[in-house]
Amino acid sequence: MKITARLKTLALGTALAASLISGATGVQAAEKFKIFLSMSFIGNDWQAEAANMVKAMAAHKSLADKVDLQVQVAGPNAQRQIQQINAMVQAGAQAIVIFPISPTALNQVVKNACDKGVKVFAYDGEITEPCAHNISIDQEEAGRVTAEWLVKKLNGKGDIVLVTGVPGTSVDNLRTKAAKEVFAKHPDIKIVGEAVGMWSQAVARTELSKITATRSWDQINGLWMQAGCYTANAMQLEAGKTAEQLLPCAGEGSNGGRIQMLPAGTEVEGAASPYAPLGAPRISYASPPYSGGLALKLAVQALEGKDVPKRVTLPLPLVTNDTVKLCKEGTWQEMKDGCNVFLPSLVSNPGWFASIFSAETPEIGLNAALVGQPEN
Amino acid sequence: MSMAVSAAPARRFLAQHRGVAVAAVVFLILLAVVDLISAGPLSYFDISFLASGGATSALAAIGQTIVILSGGFDLSAGAVISLVNVVLAQSMDPADMEASIMLWTAVGIGIGMATGAVNGFFIAVLRLQPIVVTLSTMFIIQGVTLLIMDKPGGFVSPSLGTFYLGDAITGYLPMPIAVIGVVLLLWAWLKNTRLGTAIYAVGSDMEAATAVGVSTVLTRFLVYVIAGGCYGLAGVFISAQTGSGDPLVGNPLLLSMFAAVVVGGTRLGGGRGGPLGSAIGAFVLMIVVNILLVLNISAYYSTIAEAAILLLAVLAGSISESSTLAQQLRALKTRLQARRAGTLVSQLPQQDRRLALAPSTKAIALGTPPSFLTRNAETLRYALPAYICFVLVVLVTQFWLGNTVLNPGYWNSLIVLSSFLAILALGQGTVILTGGLDLSVPWTIGLCGIILAGMVKGSDAALLYALPAVLLLACLIGLINGLGIVFLGLSPIVMTLATNGLLQGVALLYSNGTPDGFSSPMLRWFMTGRIWIFTPVVLFMVAFVVFAVALLGRTAFGRRIYGIGNGVRAAQLSGIAVGRHLVLVYVLSSLCAGLVGVLLTGFSGQASLGMGDDYLLPSIAVVVVGGALITGGRGHYLGMLGGVLLLTALQTFLAGTTLPYATRAILFGLVVLGAVIALRDRRS
Repeated sequence: MKITARLKTLALGTALAASLISGATGVQAAEKFKIFLSMSFIGNDWQAEAANMVKAMAAHKSLADKVDLQVQVAGPNAQRQIQQINAMVQAGAQAIVIFPISPTALNQVVKNACDKGVKVFAYDGEITEPCAHNISIDQEEAGRVTAEWLVKKLNGKGDIVLVTGVPGTSVDNLRTKAAKEVFAKHPDIKIVGEAVGMWSQAVARTELSKITATRSWDQINGLWMQAGCYTANAMQLEAGKTAEQLLPCAGEGSNGGRIQMLPAGTEVEGAASPYAPLGAPRISYASPPYSGGLALKLAVQALEGKDVPKRVTLPLPLVTNDTVKLCKEGTWQEMKDGCNVFLPSLVSNPGWFASIFSAETPEIGLNAALVGQPEN
Repeated sequence: MSMAVSAAPARRFLAQHRGVAVAAVVFLILLAVVDLISAGPLSYFDISFLASGGATSALAAIGQTIVILSGGFDLSAGAVISLVNVVLAQSMDPADMEASIMLWTAVGIGIGMATGAVNGFFIAVLRLQPIVVTLSTMFIIQGVTLLIMDKPGGFVSPSLGTFYLGDAITGYLPMPIAVIGVVLLLWAWLKNTRLGTAIYAVGSDMEAATAVGVSTVLTRFLVYVIAGGCYGLAGVFISAQTGSGDPLVGNPLLLSMFAAVVVGGTRLGGGRGGPLGSAIGAFVLMIVVNILLVLNISAYYSTIAEAAILLLAVLAGSISESSTLAQQLRALKTRLQARRAGTLVSQLPQQDRRLALAPSTKAIALGTPPSFLTRNAETLRYALPAYICFVLVVLVTQFWLGNTVLNPGYWNSLIVLSSFLAILALGQGTVILTGGLDLSVPWTIGLCGIILAGMVKGSDAALLYALPAVLLLACLIGLINGLGIVFLGLSPIVMTLATNGLLQGVALLYSNGTPDGFSSPMLRWFMTGRIWIFTPVVLFMVAFVVFAVALLGRTAFGRRIYGIGNGVRAAQLSGIAVGRHLVLVYVLSSLCAGLVGVLLTGFSGQASLGMGDDYLLPSIAVVVVGGALITGGRGHYLGMLGGVLLLTALQTFLAGTTLPYATRAILFGLVVLGAVIALRDRRS
């Protein structure tokens, strides 16, 4: 114990000396808000993109000298996230931005953090503890609106296949339940297959292959998916369908899916089938990955003493064949003018999430989502 | 008492408890690091936080350790924790702020013990393999959990939280530590009873235990019941800690539980170690979270850092005169000396020292060779159940969904979807035949797929050099696994788990979080195109199966693998280069995983992070369902192929129905369990 204490004094002394030498910067650094980001499992596209946008937000010139951001990954394990949040509070966090692994399991630790004056902001998912700020879309609305679009497209009649998300999560539950309520109101809409898609294009592909093993594409009239319309369209083309015969698909906001929505024959740099304009009948919605960046911005505002609402319901990004519009560079200004899909030459991963525009976040655009660089 | 007298027992005590001691030292070092670097000194408050953070894992790891000591394996542990959590959260009255702690703790432990009794019945009484029984019950319990609560919510009375997160002695002893302490004391008592001795005996040598009159059936049954009780208590603890229910909360605890057991010095396979080490191991893994935070290790490096800590902790535990590394170094030294002296076997003049046998002049009468059925009776007995169940599933699909048996499209899809698991089954199967396990499969698939897509970028020409490059990378991964296992003497589970974390970090760094590039047209055609009515990969699979059967059944390599699986010592004495073959086995496994990464990229058109995650448990399940013995030495590739077809056909059938996911999970577990009941070992 003695050695520890001595080392600590030594470290303190060095730090003191360093701050004396560096002078002004040391003082400035001390004024920065200490903010932590606790992410979930980093091994998927959405998480990585959201993390990029948070980092870009922290690096933007309006926040760079105010924020000292540290990013940590908790993995898929709620228990570890609890431990991590505790450690963050212990390390002197002033605000914690969280992608919550569970809406309920973190309640106690979040309450404990709030009691110590730490601002807690959850993005995309939800934390039900009342002291936490939640920034997310209305998941029920997402399920309902997309289901209504599909019913209308099919004129209230047809056999449909559902591909859901991760079973046992609130997000999947709310979306699927809301969609099924809509379908239940139309007796001629029949759900003939339901697969668990895990919010992954790769899983959607294997699940749809299983369904089409016993049921050909001709016996399906429409698709409602939480992720995978891009893949479903690709599979139909492989099965010999033409672009005009593609089934209506209500689903995710991947860039690949949006490119497919552009009228067939549109000149697009870098396009290669199936990542190409097909005029596919679609409605595209998404949980927007900018929510983490916005959460950070709001956290700083809260630390500066501004009044920040406990619940920010983000507008649901919806794109249909009528509203899909190609971006040339992907700056925030260009997106503000209404473009919502990016060139394959810029975004080579079709599974990348294209709903990155928010009127609230002029600091972050395409480069933020791709490489974590803020706008000028 | 003189020093000389007291030193010897002390040394013996240390030697016996080396694993625990090392885990404790590692934990204290990590704690000191956190204390040193973080802002303030660690207060009682911080310690009490740490205690509650690691308690769930620690309690579950204690249960898992008891199972492992008896030579078993329990994959259902995480699922039981979730089940207890949702039962408590669903049945507590939200108005009752003072719910009885005794009652609900008893309910939780009771549920855990009940699930343990089910596992125990199948494993001890029906003598099924633990890994596949608990895999089935894991699916069944997950399904039941989702039936009880399909999304997070519910209510757990704050009285539980106050009790379990509070203090046992205010200011000195946090309750979580006290709870773990009580469980460990119970174990210390149990260990010295007849049952405790029996557990170690069964885990060390089942035959010997039976011979000296230990009731192996009762012992193994009770082991799973006791372990279930520990998971139940862990479930109660997590309920108290979170104050609510979440049907997915326990599932991710499974892998870290095994890591905790190994860090704590318990040998996988049974007979040595103990729960105290595992509890400390759980805290070591939990404090890593704090270490990463105070060192500010960037998100992309966190899995790499964790893998490094896991390896170092386990290696530290094995440093001694008798450790594998020391042995290998000594062997190397002797070898070099021999080379210098010119007495190395390969330097000696080669002489034919075989016994000269007089050439036989007349043909030996062999009699009629035994019939095919007699020769292959054992293989057939273990391989057939999977095929019989497969045929049943296909028939059910025909009656339920129609358009199956006579539909070439169905068979084509089935084989395309089976191809991934069939290839993995060769790699994982060979590893299992030697008594190992390869947990690095998921991110070998992911990394190889991502790098292939990144290099190919849609060009067929690039595929010509990208494919060999990626497969070479896969071999390198296997080489790392193999060398770690053979030369560092690490247990396969630890080494491959660490490699998996390392590969995940590399994949993230390489792709910067967004993998780019996509499959070339030729590769896509290979996986999704058509030659007449068949996808090209179907034809490839025919050749692959022939190759796999020949490799394991007709080559010297194959025979040596079976030899190693049946007994490493015996294999060594028969002149098999065990080390070299083990390395080759892991290279083969990684090569298969890399190939799957390539094919999946072709199938999906692009590669994504985490695309291999869904293949780890199935790759193990198909091998065991196909009749292989998880401890090695028994199994046939055609049996594993039957397992692959059964699982894929079952999933295809379930995907075509509109049954809710929970019901599907339960059905899946039941079918797998049914398939292996036919495999049970009859006592000879």
